[in-house]
Amino acid sequence: MGANLVNLNVNPCKMCMPMGAVTAFYGIKNCMSILHGSQGCATYIRRHMATHFNEPVDIASSSLTEQGTVFGGEKNLMKGLENLIELYNPDVIGIATTCLAETIGEDVEAYMKKFHETHPEERVKLINVASAGYGGTQYEGFFRALRAIVSQVEPKTEKNDYINIITPMISPADTRWLKSLLDETGLHYILLPDLSENLDGISVRKYERLKSGGTSLEEISRMAGARFTIEFSDFVSEDSSPAAYLKEQFGVDYARMGLPAGIRAMDRLYELLEFCGGTITARMKTERGRYLDAMVDAHKYCAEGRAAIFGEPDFVLSATRLCAENGIVPVLTTTGSVCHTFKEKLEGEVQNAANRAMAEHYEILDDCDFDTIEKYCKELNVNLMIGSSDGRRVSHKLDIPLIRCAFPIHDRVGGQRVRTIGFDGSLFLMETAANLFLEKKETTFRQESYEKYYKDSNAANPPTAKENSVMDIKQNTPDLLAKTVEEKNATHPCFNCGAAKSARIHLPVAPKCNIQCNYCVRKFDCPNESRPGVTTEVLSPEQAYKKYAVVKAKVPNLTVVGIAGPGDSLANFEETKKTLQLIREYDPNVTFCLSTNGLMLPLYAQELIDLGVSHVTVTMNTVDPEIGAKIYHHVNYMGKYYTGVAAASILLANQLSGLKYLCERGVVCKVNCVTLKGINDQHLEEVSKVAKELGVYIVNVMPHIPVEGSAFESLDTLSNKEINEIRKKCGVNIKQMYHCRQCRADAIGTLENDQSIEFRGCSGGCSTEKEEKEPMAMLRFAVASKSGILVDSHFGHVEEFYIYESDGETVSFVEKRSVKKYCSGNADCDDHDDRMESILNAVADCNGVIALRIGESPSRKLAAKGIAVYAMYDKIEEAVKSCAKKQSVLFSAAK
Amino acid sequence: MKNPTQVLEERKDSILQKSFCSGNGRGISCEKESVSGSVSQRACVYCGARVVLNPITDAYHIVHGPIGCASYTWDIRGSLSSGSDLYRNSFSTDLRETDIVFGGEKKLSAAIDELMEKANPKPKVIFVYATCIVGVIGDDIEAVCRKAEEKYGVRVIPVKAPGFSGTKSLGYKLACNAIMQLIEPHRGEFPKVQGVNILGDFNLAGEMWIIKSYLERIGIPVVATITGDASVDQLIKAPSATLNIVQCAGSSTYLANLMEEQMGIPYIKVSFFGVEDTTSSLIRTAEALGNPEAIRKAKEFTAEESRKAIPFLEKYKPRLKGKKAAIYVGGGFKAISLIRQFNELGIETVVVGTQTGKKEDYEIIETLVNEDTVILDDANPAELEYFMTEKKADILVGGVKERPLAYKLGIAFCDHNHERKHALAGFEGIVNFTEEIDQSINSPVWQYLGER
Repeated sequence: MGANLVNLNVNPCKMCMPMGAVTAFYGIKNCMSILHGSQGCATYIRRHMATHFNEPVDIASSSLTEQGTVFGGEKNLMKGLENLIELYNPDVIGIATTCLAETIGEDVEAYMKKFHETHPEERVKLINVASAGYGGTQYEGFFRALRAIVSQVEPKTEKNDYINIITPMISPADTRWLKSLLDETGLHYILLPDLSENLDGISVRKYERLKSGGTSLEEISRMAGARFTIEFSDFVSEDSSPAAYLKEQFGVDYARMGLPAGIRAMDRLYELLEFCGGTITARMKTERGRYLDAMVDAHKYCAEGRAAIFGEPDFVLSATRLCAENGIVPVLTTTGSVCHTFKEKLEGEVQNAANRAMAEHYEILDDCDFDTIEKYCKELNVNLMIGSSDGRRVSHKLDIPLIRCAFPIHDRVGGQRVRTIGFDGSLFLMETAANLFLEKKETTFRQESYEKYYKDSNAANPPTAKENSVMDIKQNTPDLLAKTVEEKNATHPCFNCGAAKSARIHLPVAPKCNIQCNYCVRKFDCPNESRPGVTTEVLSPEQAYKKYAVVKAKVPNLTVVGIAGPGDSLANFEETKKTLQLIREYDPNVTFCLSTNGLMLPLYAQELIDLGVSHVTVTMNTVDPEIGAKIYHHVNYMGKYYTGVAAASILLANQLSGLKYLCERGVVCKVNCVTLKGINDQHLEEVSKVAKELGVYIVNVMPHIPVEGSAFESLDTLSNKEINEIRKKCGVNIKQMYHCRQCRADAIGTLENDQSIEFRGCSGGCSTEKEEKEPMAMLRFAVASKSGILVDSHFGHVEEFYIYESDGETVSFVEKRSVKKYCSGNADCDDHDDRMESILNAVADCNGVIALRIGESPSRKLAAKGIAVYAMYDKIEEAVKSCAKKQSVLFSAAK
Repeated sequence: MKNPTQVLEERKDSILQKSFCSGNGRGISCEKESVSGSVSQRACVYCGARVVLNPITDAYHIVHGPIGCASYTWDIRGSLSSGSDLYRNSFSTDLRETDIVFGGEKKLSAAIDELMEKANPKPKVIFVYATCIVGVIGDDIEAVCRKAEEKYGVRVIPVKAPGFSGTKSLGYKLACNAIMQLIEPHRGEFPKVQGVNILGDFNLAGEMWIIKSYLERIGIPVVATITGDASVDQLIKAPSATLNIVQCAGSSTYLANLMEEQMGIPYIKVSFFGVEDTTSSLIRTAEALGNPEAIRKAKEFTAEESRKAIPFLEKYKPRLKGKKAAIYVGGGFKAISLIRQFNELGIETVVVGTQTGKKEDYEIIETLVNEDTVILDDANPAELEYFMTEKKADILVGGVKERPLAYKLGIAFCDHNHERKHALAGFEGIVNFTEEIDQSINSPVWQYLGER
């Protein structure tokens, strides 16, 4: 149940029993399975298995309907079996019940008996398993099916020298490993089930839809006479254990152990195999040695691990053992199943590992959903998740790597070949984990160390990007250095108080944003550069260009073009670039100004210079990632989503290196700071210092305007006086801007006089001239169409007409008419004649009718009303055009 | 196999090979329940309802039933959101043995109470889906939902979708009814807008955004998107639109009809797949609104985009010429669009089938394809295997269940399903579609598989 909710499962960490049952049947030779229930169950399960195994998965359904549900599903099941045999001709059919069949009380055993009575010639072996979805989860369904198989196949009790090997659901690749290991020991064995080929088939010339790999009926029957059974499961219940059944019925002794992963379990397996008379070869011993060596190699990296392991109980316990042996603390071990022995069986293992690593807290939970897993991943500082791809959302949200090594894996290929058992499976899992810790370390230690230890206040070395996810800037020759700052600012009202007479236009071409500031709500404009609460129309570059041209004609003192949103100008770089290019072609002298959050600045800095941008404003609210983590909810960078300090670090590093690059090349840079009370108001002096070091020209300390719906909506604001005091303090370091108006993203005019309203809606060209249209004689057509795209309806069957007008050249749609509305007779228009009459009414004002086919009698009726008739198949527009042409020829001929 | 033709007796009427004399008016047998044991590719009623409603981003979707139904449908679809992420969560009452015995109403009611009291964000609307078992044990979910609505003043809408009660198409209808329940009370609340609602697009990989951007670009406001990237606040404004445009006809025509009858909003069917359809759909939408400025812009915009698309398509045509396609998709609308898109690329469709196509869909399909093309309703893997092999298809367009089969048969594959992560609609979609077809058909891997 959910972390906060007891009556709701929020994001399930389990599947149902039928899933397990049909998976087990896939390990039987020449076997098909049918789910007795409604159609959906089979399809969902097939879809789940098909994406994980990347194999065709055929599972039949008895497709119970309302009737079957009320009167029993016997007929459906009988028919289903017959059809399955006809299409697949299997040796075995597994019949698994679903919730529905169990609830309505289907007696499948009786149906099976009846089937054999009515089909005496059929040799197919029917095996049924009761697997109500609500009765348990997939691992229980899996073992129940195995138990059903073992107990329903005719036993051959004469003693043989085989060993029975029974596994829970393991991957086909793991199964192949197990088989080759057993072969190597020289033991004769029967493996149940054997998914190795059936769910990981090879490419063959002739596809066989019935799977011929797997354990055969003959082998299963001989399990009763085997010498010994090894059952790999810590959690199978006595009443669904095939090993227990074989012992009870036929006295076959057995040993039970968990999945053979990690050193202790593998040692136990070798021991058991030796006990059964198998040889532990030199190669097998070498493998053990190599694994031990690898454990030592990786132990220090594994020591960083705090794992969350989730999935089926057997998988979780074996992965927990493996982690514990390697020093990874399994701080969160969970299963979605209700499993009363789960905690008891894991506790010792987990506690030991936790004690050794001096970890105080851990959780072991059954009946657990992902809502709960997410909660504890946070609380317990998990840094690795191990399980199925269903953990991907938590992994993504909390930025914790996930090793996908359990069913189902939907978002990667190769689910069928995941390895987790044996020495090489263990090695894969352990080293993948270790490498994830290493990768994390490698990518963060520079930045982390820098943040922790770098205290140099020497201005000569401004901070530079440390993290390797930060881009290197393209080197290029600067060309703005020739002019002085004053020259560059001469006509820019924002950078130069004296230029207040100059007007500027902000072109809203950049709707997207790549970061989320906690003071901003996306649906409004960015409050950084605009008044909040007013959404702007977004223009395409072409529209923006047209708007500029119109405004320039009416506002001659327009000297500055700015791009300030409504999102981030560089998150929409293509639009920004196109806009500037178009305008530059038109006006070589206009000053280009741009504001950005700076995230993409290093990538585009040189391009901005090349585009002739001379003024750039970067909103940099902090130079401390810890503070940044409070201001920025997330950062979307190069297709990855970052939160917290990581997000703030990337943003900061890019702002710094971007600004440095621009300043060095003579671009006049301004830094905007939104003053957030209690967050960065005491820190802005520091920001202004850094800005100065980078070569920034001016800093604009802005008050925070709270926006409804933003995370900071109720944050206290600072008074003007307080803001001015901050500006004063910052002014010691760097020039301050006192005349900012916090303009709209589509502001037009001088700072004192915003004229944007006058030009609203002017985007697509503000021409006032009316388009001249010559009145032409239009012909009206009624088109019989179902798709709305093609002439595809019979006239007599038509339910709606698409009405068009055309002069043979242009075609235009008028409306759609429902025939029903033209019904004058009885209410439903059922009657054929009434129907025909309403059809004729619907087209009464038309010059022609176009339909796929049309009968003789309606043709005559239409002709009598002077309506032309066309039978054809074509795209609607094409059909109308060609009919209009024909008809106008007729008209002129008639004249 | 016992049956060399690979077709079960009961299935014979659901398969048709187009021929000179197949137009006998009898047509294909469709809109029927699946044949037991035939291994149908269809899902169920619940699935149909969930597909349509799930993209409503800020709704709570509670699956009332055992865990399987919730587990297998949790966040597997590619519908995107520009706002809330709520819809990507799975909420289920996870019914157990005891609930089956004693009934699940109490649990459901407690679940809703908990959501109302604890959930963040506060629910604006809750959809409650009843699955198979709930239909059998007789929980009165309507009563539970009604009581919850009265108690909390929040919409709690029941969707009674037991899997056995029909096919996926019934689920579509149930979803349409649920949407009507949500929006109907808001009729007249907002002033009329000379704009449209977009119906039947689920914003897979941002397709709704593409369509919406086109309409806005030609100056047509979009009022509500139903249901791709929909929010409750936006949906309830739907009655204020002047026109509905219906993209996925199979799932949403029913809703369009309801809105036309009850709210007087006319609708037209559109398709944004392929150059031709996208062009005529945009122009027609503008025409239907009688907006001359929009008509002009639509013509300009589509002419410009088509002009760009032509050289792109021409570049790929020689690489795809003479190839044969098989199509097996959910609904008729998609199949029809695909046949036409393949035609644009010079690819012939040799096998085409759908899970839930309607009689009229199949009539259109029949007129679109060449002679000898095999048309199937509710096909199974055995039939797909047989006919794709017989017709020597080079590529299959289908869903995830069909993909491994195509690969085993050495046939290329195009993912045209709700899980895909690339947009196939609009002019952008033409590029993606063509590239995907080309990347699969012209992959080097096939040459190593040998003769078949």
